[in-house]
Amino acid sequence: MIGQGAAGEFELPEAAAEGRARRPAQSFWSASWEELRENRIGMVAGVFILVLAVIAISAPLLAQLVTHYQPTRQDLDSQFQPPDARHLLGADETGRDTLTRLIYGAQISLGVGFLAVALQLVVGGGVGLLAGYYGRWVDELLMRFVDMVLAIPAIFLFILMSILFRPNALTLSVIIASVGWGVVARLVRGEVLSVKNRDFVLATRSIGAGDARLILRHLLPNVLPVIVVAASLGVGAVILVEAALDFLGLGIHPPTPSWGNMLSHAETYYHHSPYLVIFPGVMIFLTVLAANIFGNAVRDAFDPRLR
Amino acid sequence: MLLRFLLRRALAAIPVVVGVTLITFLLMHSAAGSYVPGLSLNPNLTPKDVEQLRSELGLDQPIYVQYLDWIGVAWIMQKVGLAGVLVGAHGITPGLLQGSFGHSMVDGTAVGGQIFERLPNTILLTLSAILLGVLLSIPLGVMGALRRGSNLDHFFSFLSIAGVAIPQFWLGLMLILIFSVKFHDWGLPFLPSSGTTTPFTGGDLLDRLAHLVLPALVLSFFYLAIWSRYTRSSMLEVLSQDYVRTARAKGMSERRVTYLHGLRNAVIPLVTLVGLELPGLVSGALVVEAVFSWPGIGLLAFQRALAYDYTMVLGIVTFAAVLVVLGNLVSDLLYAAVDPRIRLQ
Repeated sequence: MIGQGAAGEFELPEAAAEGRARRPAQSFWSASWEELRENRIGMVAGVFILVLAVIAISAPLLAQLVTHYQPTRQDLDSQFQPPDARHLLGADETGRDTLTRLIYGAQISLGVGFLAVALQLVVGGGVGLLAGYYGRWVDELLMRFVDMVLAIPAIFLFILMSILFRPNALTLSVIIASVGWGVVARLVRGEVLSVKNRDFVLATRSIGAGDARLILRHLLPNVLPVIVVAASLGVGAVILVEAALDFLGLGIHPPTPSWGNMLSHAETYYHHSPYLVIFPGVMIFLTVLAANIFGNAVRDAFDPRLR
Repeated sequence: MLLRFLLRRALAAIPVVVGVTLITFLLMHSAAGSYVPGLSLNPNLTPKDVEQLRSELGLDQPIYVQYLDWIGVAWIMQKVGLAGVLVGAHGITPGLLQGSFGHSMVDGTAVGGQIFERLPNTILLTLSAILLGVLLSIPLGVMGALRRGSNLDHFFSFLSIAGVAIPQFWLGLMLILIFSVKFHDWGLPFLPSSGTTTPFTGGDLLDRLAHLVLPALVLSFFYLAIWSRYTRSSMLEVLSQDYVRTARAKGMSERRVTYLHGLRNAVIPLVTLVGLELPGLVSGALVVEAVFSWPGIGLLAFQRALAYDYTMVLGIVTFAAVLVVLGNLVSDLLYAAVDPRIRLQ
């Protein structure tokens, strides 16, 4: 520094040093976390998802204490019952309580959403790390396979696999993740390629670190931000796909309630009970909306490319 | 240059396409290996009948023979006198390599014929949706960028966030509920909710358009959400460039700056995005087709998959996958065509 600025600095050497001592260098993660916390809308969306998750987990308790119905309990006296004091959100064609079914449906949507994304990240992240780190034929082999999987329109793969497995929540997550991992693999591989030629990798190797240590202790933490971003943006997409598959009759089968399969027979509801078409869709919409908004907030805070 | 690029990309696509046929074939085979799972339980069929049915459909051959037969390699091997390698093969027919998709296992119709009969419906639907999306998203994006931070801009932003969060099938159901069912109940003119034409009486242009409106609208809403966002941000970026400032400085009217310098450059990323949708032309509308009973390729694949129609599903999936590979190529070319800064390598 030249001129006045430099003179100004000389006057307060102690204060500056003290300030530095009180505020240690912030790590990438805590800085990102702080930035995320300052995003009001993003945090509201995150809290919404959290509350929904708590509701989903405590579904049996809520059914017992609050709605007083079981999700599959049929009651022919309340067929197509409009919302009233007994059935807060009405009842469907066999008199099952809509609110209870929506609460249980949250288990499927969120459960599959989180599980499928987790699987995508583990498989895609692993493949991306290996392909990016080893390069050459490993890279060629793995990435050509990714090309193939991604060339087949995902919906067709879902249909074929749904016929093969007749899925429950667990297999449905596997099915959805079996396509999504490819995208994550491409992303992570690209990131590894840009990181692995930096000096710290060479330095680590020169002091004798093996492949496994290099990948897990040094490359993985450096690509982790990309993975976190992919994860937070993936949940909403998975929930949408899952609901569509349920709706088409290829996902979770009745009587297990899911937001998607509650809409399977929508055409029979149109005339006397439109609310049966409205509520499940609103739940999907709000949940995906919240997941995406939170995802965007996480991206803004954690994506190193946006800094 | 262009030719070499095309050639290299085409060569690179071959292993991908082969892999795709292998993956779909194996999946279909494990999903419906014995054709109809309930076939052997049918009390009217003796085990011998079932054996004969399976033999007629070629399902009694070893799996690799079935695959080679389907892709047309077996036919070539037979021609050049290598049929002895294919142990247990019988009734070998021309396959994919000879341009034949085979015949449906359910009704015996030609798979290729069925695909091309349905294809126009799907293309009509998706192209209308893409057109609608482009026509609406560019003005929305430009308006958002020019009035950045205004209430209008915030509203458009919300619209695009909502557009990717709303389940397509539910949006379809809601539009049917409002414009078909409720409008009908209220005695207003209402829109049809399924098919491409009204049975018996319909079929004229107006009737076709009326059937197209709702499904095309639902499909385009998603495009609208993404593309208007992109137009907005790239418009903002372009308008802050030096050459725009130069244009303003030399006294060019704001209108000309916006449209000549701004919009033209801002639309470039949109072209790639629209190009990215080309591969989805065939499969992207499946859910919407299912909601509106739109007789397109997606609906065909969906219905036939549920009926374990092996050859039909394999044919459609392969067809769609080849289109994806071609579509990626086309969108690369398109991108290079609009943006001279990008050189093909």
